[in-house]
Amino acid sequence: MSTNAVSFTGVEKTYRRPGLLRAAYNTAVKDLSFEIRAGEVTGLLGLNGAGKTTIMKLLTGLLFPTAGRVRVFGHAPSEGAAKGKVGFLPELPYFPPQVKPGEALSYYGRLSGLSGAGLALAVREAIERTGLEPHAGKRVSEFSKGMLQRLGLAQALLHRPELLVLDEPVSGLDPLAIHDIRGLLAGLNAEGRTVFLSSHSISEVEKLADRVLIMVKGRLAATVDRARWEAAPGGLEAIFVEAVR
Amino acid sequence: MRILRLTWAVAVNSFSESVRHRFFTLFSVFAFTAIYASVLAGVMAVDQEARVLTDFGLALMELTALAFAIFNAASVLPKEAETKTIYLVFSRPVPRGVYLAGKLAGSLLTSALMLAVMGAMHLLLLKVRGFGVPPCYGWALAGSMLKLCVITSFAFFVSLFSTSAVSTMVISGVVWTAGHFASETRFLADQSAGVKSAGLKAAMWLIPNLQLFNARDLSGAACSIAPPAFLSAAAWVGGSYLAALWLISKKEF
Repeated sequence: MSTNAVSFTGVEKTYRRPGLLRAAYNTAVKDLSFEIRAGEVTGLLGLNGAGKTTIMKLLTGLLFPTAGRVRVFGHAPSEGAAKGKVGFLPELPYFPPQVKPGEALSYYGRLSGLSGAGLALAVREAIERTGLEPHAGKRVSEFSKGMLQRLGLAQALLHRPELLVLDEPVSGLDPLAIHDIRGLLAGLNAEGRTVFLSSHSISEVEKLADRVLIMVKGRLAATVDRARWEAAPGGLEAIFVEAVR
Repeated sequence: MRILRLTWAVAVNSFSESVRHRFFTLFSVFAFTAIYASVLAGVMAVDQEARVLTDFGLALMELTALAFAIFNAASVLPKEAETKTIYLVFSRPVPRGVYLAGKLAGSLLTSALMLAVMGAMHLLLLKVRGFGVPPCYGWALAGSMLKLCVITSFAFFVSLFSTSAVSTMVISGVVWTAGHFASETRFLADQSAGVKSAGLKAAMWLIPNLQLFNARDLSGAACSIAPPAFLSAAAWVGGSYLAALWLISKKEF
């Protein structure tokens, strides 16, 4: 059994945009190698366009690498064996406005292979864990951004994944919602789940992560352990600024 | 079994989203108004009222269902990609072929419901005017449904490479129209020679012959759609599905 939840080996991703006469190419990540250890909280920091979302999508099988190898618990991300162990929260998740959270979660639970009493229990647990219980009777159209983010997290938790991949989980949320989500993620990690999250908020990543990957223009510029940034003057922010300049 | 459960889950979700969509209500209201308006045409036909009411109603039903089916098929996959809903599906262990089959089934279920509701309204209107169920009525609806199956699956395929939902609707509309001129195309191909004949013959292979499904035109004494028409519909749906599957399996989101 692999102790690495995720491994990237020499990964490159180049986007091809077809043009009238010739295609345009844009390399989003290049020569990328790193591991995420099982049970760890790993943060992904970088400026806009650094390749954070590309990494998340490669990890969840939404994109295919141009070169190199991605493995999730020893499997290719497109394999069912890998996908069954991953819960993904994309940035700004969308749910149809006319549905209630229970309906949306039941659908995604079914897609994760749940059914019957197991599905009902998983939906109830996910709603409770994410603090959506008081809003369970509302339609998604009545939800605030924070509530939508909680619902996004709930759908990622339904099938009790071993790895949570979260793209900007606290983006645009108010301080109370950020506090609650931080507590939820810390609790999930304490249960042994691996968490991989990208964020623009250095302070949030600093509070949650055991290790941080800093991306600069599609390349891994630095891998920083908690001990290192706690010992550094200026903390993680100083290390980040130095890496991206 | 797992594959069937997943397909059914996607189909039911797709069906319920389509039915809840405001366009479904709008199309239903339009259909009711249009079918009701056919009473006027029937009254003007005097002694041919039953025939005109039937033919006019069936044509309006088919066109309304077609417009909704093409609109729905052209927008369902691009909308899921645009809203990133597809991320939540494809990051789960859902094979892309299953998702595609579920979405297609959901769209066809919606079309079938629309056709059934419009058919019920039409029959009610005929009854109010003092007429019974017209001959071949069930087969005419079955023919319309087969056409919708062909054109919906074709629109799904086109939506995976076209640049917008509008271009998918235009291409599908053109194919639907051209599909009703198969015998004319064959006649022209036989009459012409060289490149023109070859082009017309190629078009006959590339465009479905939708005249096969016009049950009331073909029926004569016996009300039915011939088995080759079912085979043709199955081949077009299967071919479009496989072509769409090839595209979606390579597609990145």
